[in-house]
Amino acid sequence: MRAIDRAGSGRPLPSETRPVLLATAGLVLLLPALALLSLLIGTGSSSVGGAWDYLVGDPAARADAQLRLAVMDVRLPRTLAAVLVGACLGTAGCLLQAATRNPLAETGLLGVNSGAAFAVVLGLTYFGASSSAALMVWALLGGMTASAVVLLLAASGRAAGSPLRLVLVGSALGATFHGLTSYVLLGTRSTYDTYRYWTIGSLAGVETAGLLPLLPLAALGLLVALGSARPLSALGLGDDIARSLGHHPGRIRLIVAGAVSLLVGCAVAVAGPIAFLGLLAPYAARALTGARMAPQLVLSALIAADVMILADILARIVIRPWETPVSVLLAFVGGPLLVWIARSSRLSTAGAAA
Amino acid sequence: MTEVTSRDVTPPDSTVLRTGGLSWLFPRRGALAVAVLVPLLLVLIALAVLASSTGMSLSQTLSGLLGTGDAGTVMIVRDFRLPRIFVGLMVGAALGIAGCLTQTLAGNRLATPDLVGVNEGATAAVVASAAGSATGMVGDWWLGPLGAVAAAVLVVLCAGGAGAAGYRVLVVGIGVSTFIGAVSDLIMSRENDNTAGGVFLWAVGSLNGRDWNVGTPLLIALLFLVPLSLAAGHRLQLLRFDDDMAASLGVDLRRIRSAALALAVALAGTAVGVGGPIAFVALAAPILAQRLAGPTRVPVLGSALTGVALIAAADALGRVVAPVELPVGVVTSVLGGPFLLWVLFRPDRTTGKA
Repeated sequence: MRAIDRAGSGRPLPSETRPVLLATAGLVLLLPALALLSLLIGTGSSSVGGAWDYLVGDPAARADAQLRLAVMDVRLPRTLAAVLVGACLGTAGCLLQAATRNPLAETGLLGVNSGAAFAVVLGLTYFGASSSAALMVWALLGGMTASAVVLLLAASGRAAGSPLRLVLVGSALGATFHGLTSYVLLGTRSTYDTYRYWTIGSLAGVETAGLLPLLPLAALGLLVALGSARPLSALGLGDDIARSLGHHPGRIRLIVAGAVSLLVGCAVAVAGPIAFLGLLAPYAARALTGARMAPQLVLSALIAADVMILADILARIVIRPWETPVSVLLAFVGGPLLVWIARSSRLSTAGAAA
Repeated sequence: MTEVTSRDVTPPDSTVLRTGGLSWLFPRRGALAVAVLVPLLLVLIALAVLASSTGMSLSQTLSGLLGTGDAGTVMIVRDFRLPRIFVGLMVGAALGIAGCLTQTLAGNRLATPDLVGVNEGATAAVVASAAGSATGMVGDWWLGPLGAVAAAVLVVLCAGGAGAAGYRVLVVGIGVSTFIGAVSDLIMSRENDNTAGGVFLWAVGSLNGRDWNVGTPLLIALLFLVPLSLAAGHRLQLLRFDDDMAASLGVDLRRIRSAALALAVALAGTAVGVGGPIAFVALAAPILAQRLAGPTRVPVLGSALTGVALIAAADALGRVVAPVELPVGVVTSVLGGPFLLWVLFRPDRTTGKA
């Protein structure tokens, strides 16, 4: 009900606003600090000091071609990719959980991940795609197509646009795509080998040229997300109240699901299917903000972006000189964290709020 | 105070049978469903026995079955195909019941046993056995069930019991499964192609090569677990009311939930361990059985029979539709998605619910 109370302007802000503002400020400040670390730390022969010299414009370091390669061509795109993927996954997870009114809804539910995986396997097997840029295109096309089919099916017929229907259609088609992927993979060993590295999810090998075309798509998704904060808050009060406030629950869910597909599609295209962040970041954001949608969305995006950069930095150093796939690292840290959250008393309130 | 007659409290789809002091609610609709399912099952099993991937003719198959054909044919039919079908049927029954129990416990049609980590546990055990062996071969069959049950026990221990409506178990399950899955992924990414290929074949859900060595212990396990599940299903009927109502009827909720969860874990663990993560049967079988049995029951027996039917049909199809033999898990997930959608989108005429 807080959303309604606050509509009357001129009142003092609720007392919980301060910690939310503090958290937001902290997360915003953390972002450039982590990004700097991400540029400084890495595998290979380039030292932290060398990278620092390069960044502050030391002429000797600037002249070093190897340093330039490490900082500008390898670490910079990875850092940008981590921010992009994190913000997309965090926002998408938050949107999906609000729209389905299920705090456990995960971004894999809309068939984006399994559709992308199927398209990647098709591209590898029948169209000779092998470069990371080509795989990105296939993943994006597959993810978007799959989620479009899920959305169309969920929006048709009776009970159109209901949360349960969206989730059921998503998981049913997701299973089908998964089966088709297995079917193609069974016939082709060589494809399977490339596929198993793609499916594990990693930011290694991301290039700036591949990232740029995705930026407008991701930006569009983020804008739609922010624009739907208010209708989603209304939806949180129940479909009937939302309707009486002049919203159309089915339509809101479809728009939101479309934005989710766009966001997750971009994320999968860059990093492969990364589980968990889209589930956990909104969880943490909700613990800080309560039921308010707009701060929840912003915080989810910030938390996920921060965590993603941090995980990618750790991925480079935990088993040096090899790299850990970033999704594995997220699962190692996130799994126990989720267990801890579930066991703390916060769960019942977080679950009830969503 | 009006007098309550037995007619008033009898569910509309049941008949009361009385002999002396004993009375039994005979579920007419459920019984009809079973009466339809059993002959259908027998037909499907016969088809599964006759379907051949090697171009063996019908008369050859029959001669092999009756022992009148040449030694090779007899061996193929009696020693390879029959035990495999037998194992498949039991896996189907176990998955169906496990799905029915978890869906009832969580009060959610999407709650499948793999949410408590059985898939990841079994996969981890198989991956570890392959990685640990010098030849890179997948180890003994019992490692699968062992891993699955171990993971599920870990989930339940981490969750600290069944919790309110099993909700906490599901959240903890996601966390623990992600963690275990990450461990498997990490091991797999360091293994060579042969090992990865072997594990992949298992992980799509295949019954290939399962013989009486697997079938006999599986049968013994089910002889214990199925009757217990039927009893638990009967008690779970009361959980359809809210908790207070059930408690006032003298039900120990905690005990029933824990027992049902333990049974679901044991059944799903065994099934997944033996057959690999065969998708969709545990999700779809209870939903279909519920359609058949009507909305007021927990359809344990119906779920078992439906699960058996799904596996028998998928196994037979997998051997005839494609030029190469398809693992049963691939068939269930490719066809299961559209099939479930069809079921969900067709309004149920008898209850009027979509």
